[in-house]
Amino acid sequence: MARTVRVTVDHNVCVGNAMCETIAPKVFVLNANRQSEAVDPAGDTVEKILDAAENCPVSAIIVEDAETGERLFP
Amino acid sequence: MMGTRTMNDDMFTPDVIADPYTYYGQLREEDPIHWNEKYQLWVVTSYDDVVWLTRHHELFSSAVFKNDPRPAYPDINESDLGLYEYVRQYQADQFIQHDRPDHLEMRKVVHGYFTPKSTEVWRPFVQSAINDLLDEAEARGHMDVMRDFATPLPVLVIAQMMGVPRQDRPYVRHLAEKLLNIGRGEPDRMKPLTEGMQGMIDYVSPLVDERLVNPGDDFISVLAQGEKAGVFTRHQVLVNTSLLLLAGHETTINLLCNGTLAFIRHPEQWNVLKQDPAGWAVRATEECLRYDAPVKSIQRIASEDVDIRGKLLRQNDRIRWFISSANRDPKPFAGPDSFDISRHPNPHVAFGSGIHHCLGASLARLEGQEAFKALAERFPALHLATEELAYQPSITFRSLKSLPVTWN
Repeated sequence: MARTVRVTVDHNVCVGNAMCETIAPKVFVLNANRQSEAVDPAGDTVEKILDAAENCPVSAIIVEDAETGERLFP
Repeated sequence: MMGTRTMNDDMFTPDVIADPYTYYGQLREEDPIHWNEKYQLWVVTSYDDVVWLTRHHELFSSAVFKNDPRPAYPDINESDLGLYEYVRQYQADQFIQHDRPDHLEMRKVVHGYFTPKSTEVWRPFVQSAINDLLDEAEARGHMDVMRDFATPLPVLVIAQMMGVPRQDRPYVRHLAEKLLNIGRGEPDRMKPLTEGMQGMIDYVSPLVDERLVNPGDDFISVLAQGEKAGVFTRHQVLVNTSLLLLAGHETTINLLCNGTLAFIRHPEQWNVLKQDPAGWAVRATEECLRYDAPVKSIQRIASEDVDIRGKLLRQNDRIRWFISSANRDPKPFAGPDSFDISRHPNPHVAFGSGIHHCLGASLARLEGQEAFKALAERFPALHLATEELAYQPSITFRSLKSLPVTWN
């Protein structure tokens, strides 16, 4: 079975660069403050979610294994 | 507009250049969306407005040089108007001077090169360059932080990123110094600026030809791949290579100089850093970026009529948003005029915000962290060698002219 992940965006850090939305648009959507929200962690592949997290210019995206809680990024 | 009517409403007067915080702080309190009559532009100073504006790129265009037919400000020599046209066309081809959708395609080409993770591989190089520069300074017993440390460091890093051969570095540094005229106010600044721009184009052109055939892992190869993919024209590749030198140079110089000066002016914070330089390096760098930011303000052009809290900004109006005021706004920052390296969280806007958030932010942070750590470890008794400090007459950059220090 494919791994499921928990995705969190730290709004103390997020600058609304929106690269995550470009890479995984079904997972990340900008809210009214133009900060990213992880609306659907199952919306795209884990690879794409990790790619989005890596491309966040301020490392605001935290990705964890939903079952084990293991930190996958950063 | 209350007190702003009576104050001398000019961002280029010597007192505002020496201390921008009083003037912009007064504007923030009395008239945060302020029309400056002299330069015919909006001055935006509150934190919330700066964040809102930078995150609404569809309302505020970054294609300033393409969309703004008005002349340069402050005034330039009339005989240099042709040179300004060259500068306009040159700047207009920088990827940062584009709006979506073009900006996104261009940023995607270069974005991966500057992520926090990609940037981390440069840390050992930065550490070693810092060590070499501070070894030389230590042997002399004094240094001008500007000339001997803050200026050579980013050029060394960028030259390495561009894959510039060692023997060419002094020439690239010479060009970089000419490019610094971009943010200055002197009426004769166009000549050295255009010499720097053309010099970069001439220097980089053969490197691009070569990297198209033999791509490496350097930044010019990344841009050359963008040309192959049809995202960049050749002129854009050349211009964006010099953008790396331009944007990564003056800004880093200012971070290192302004941060060092902040520590010298606040010995209690210097003592905190000295207790544990490696432990404090990250937060110290963030506070330096907030307290005396390298970039004071950046311009946009209104893409349509926009009403901000009762002020009507007309389509094509010039707008400048002030980092140096937003970062001192008491709303997000308790005790905003205190330099406090324990501040956390520290959501400053030194790198802007939104889709145009500084591409080189991670690199700048890394250089700042390593520089302040090394200074605290090696020169704990650091102090000024003069009280005569002066700033460049720029509205864009917060640039000291020199910063002589000693540690004996």
